Amino acid sequence: MASNFSIKHQPGFTTIAATCFIVLYLPIIVLVAYAFNAASSTSEWGGFSLRWFQSAYQNTQVIDATLRSFQIGAIAAVLSTIFATMAALATTRTASYPGLTFKYAAINQPLMVPEIVTGVALLIFFSRIKIFTGYSGLGYLIAAHTAFCIPFAYLPIRARLENMDLTLERAAADLYATPWKTFRRITLPLLWPGILAGLMLAFVISLDDVVITEFVKSGGQDTLPTYMLGQIRRGVTPEINAISTAFLLLSVAIVTLFFFVSRKRD
Amino acid sequence: MNWKTTATAMGLALLASTGLARAEGVLNIYNWGNYTSPDVIKKFEDKYNIKVTITDYDSNDTALAKIRQGGTGFDIAVPSQTYVPIWIKEGLLLETDPGKMENFKNVAPEWANPEFDPGRKYSVPWAWGTIGVVVNTDAYKGPADTWGIVFNTPDELKGKVNVVPEMNDVIFAAIKYVGGQQCTDDKAVLKKVRDLLVAAKPNWIAMEYNTIEKMGAGDFKATSDWNGSALRQRLANAAIHYNYPKEGFGLWSDNVVVLKEAKNVENAKLFQNFIMDPENAAGLSAFHRYANAITGSDKYMPADMKDAPEVVIPADAKPKGEFQKMCAPETQELYTKIWTELQK
Repeated sequence: MASNFSIKHQPGFTTIAATCFIVLYLPIIVLVAYAFNAASSTSEWGGFSLRWFQSAYQNTQVIDATLRSFQIGAIAAVLSTIFATMAALATTRTASYPGLTFKYAAINQPLMVPEIVTGVALLIFFSRIKIFTGYSGLGYLIAAHTAFCIPFAYLPIRARLENMDLTLERAAADLYATPWKTFRRITLPLLWPGILAGLMLAFVISLDDVVITEFVKSGGQDTLPTYMLGQIRRGVTPEINAISTAFLLLSVAIVTLFFFVSRKRD
Repeated sequence: MNWKTTATAMGLALLASTGLARAEGVLNIYNWGNYTSPDVIKKFEDKYNIKVTITDYDSNDTALAKIRQGGTGFDIAVPSQTYVPIWIKEGLLLETDPGKMENFKNVAPEWANPEFDPGRKYSVPWAWGTIGVVVNTDAYKGPADTWGIVFNTPDELKGKVNVVPEMNDVIFAAIKYVGGQQCTDDKAVLKKVRDLLVAAKPNWIAMEYNTIEKMGAGDFKATSDWNGSALRQRLANAAIHYNYPKEGFGLWSDNVVVLKEAKNVENAKLFQNFIMDPENAAGLSAFHRYANAITGSDKYMPADMKDAPEVVIPADAKPKGEFQKMCAPETQELYTKIWTELQK
């Protein structure tokens, strides 16, 4: 037996992997299938139809919520990627010093702290500010989303920086480039795939958030996930499946696009 | 302009673009999800030239928790009658005196002076309904006007009954079934309730909200449920029948209130008055499928709701209906203990 031992083929691994894939993907496949159900049920098949896509498209609340999700997601992704890039540069282009570990922990805090805790804390904190300033716009949601997206943007950027060849940066500095010029001409172009990955990840994470958004939102600020949550109590129609399917296609499109873009660059 | 100032200016412009312009005519409604008729809202917007936003919540507790903190920007909320006294007591509501509004004359007499808001100083009825027993008559032909379907399940229905997991509703029904009074803290009665529930549970198939689907598909043959949900089930499957338990059944209502922190008080008052108009009340009902408390709305109601047995309580069952109340905190605690044990 030992003679044909291979790390790639161990007994039972195929089965476990297959089970994992089925458990992960089967519900999604079922959900997508029922988006095309002609009947108004999410469990009884009544023929093929596009009526739910049409009804979701005509539902102004859905469209509003979707646009708001995109708006918050885009702004929060850009802001958190900028902060994450700065943080990644500061934590990788330095000799180790006491307190660096603490900084890692601080940056990754949203990954460690349960979402519900952050949600409640922000509700209490922002309410005070809302009362004090009288401003209750989208700024709070954008600030909250930016904060919890930072670690997701930070991880791929930092990984990229750590694997980068430092010789080029040193050469640039040797040729009298200012630190800023070195960053612009050398580091940034090499870092670009990492930044794009961080941006995409942050956008998807923001798009997906329910708990914190539910606590922080003010009047007229439902995002698509909180809108969907509000539907649950009163009976779900395949309209929700249709919205989810459209969302899924969009996410897949973004990731695929990113895959091709980053492959060309490497 | 170097890059730093450009970036700063761009950032500020971006943030400024997200600040909502406070237009003259705005009304921010905070309501249960999938509960507000877009047609009626459109009519209101056109009539008064007010832009309405609707934001969803999924439980009374979420809504109360957010409003307690303040600064939400909402003008209107729609709490259930069990919660209205809490909102009033905590000083979260504005006394808009709907009882003196022009359209108040349309409110049916039994809804004009409810216990949870004496004299209607704060709230306007939005929707109301009952909690009863739904049975698929293909599976069970016997008498079904009893909580016994759930708590003492007949053989035909064993393993096919669902219970909607609303603690207060289930405990209320169980207390009625053993002959007690709502909000009782009598240990002997509660012992009976506990034993009844624990013994009944093995006959249940599930404790789920998703009854419209599962009853329609025949996965459940009976369930405890709200009347509006039962109506939708019957429209999907004619064999389904809604029953008013003879031991006593709960009545609930959701009510439109104006928040103390509302910025658009006048618009909120216009809205309270607007929905007491018979035609508008019928429009709301047509969407959320529950009865309203407005006299004269029946002539505008959709045909399938006018005489629906789920909406119109039969005369002989009417006296058995009872408004559910929020019990004293220490009593609620006893109920929670029973409920927790049942969940195990």
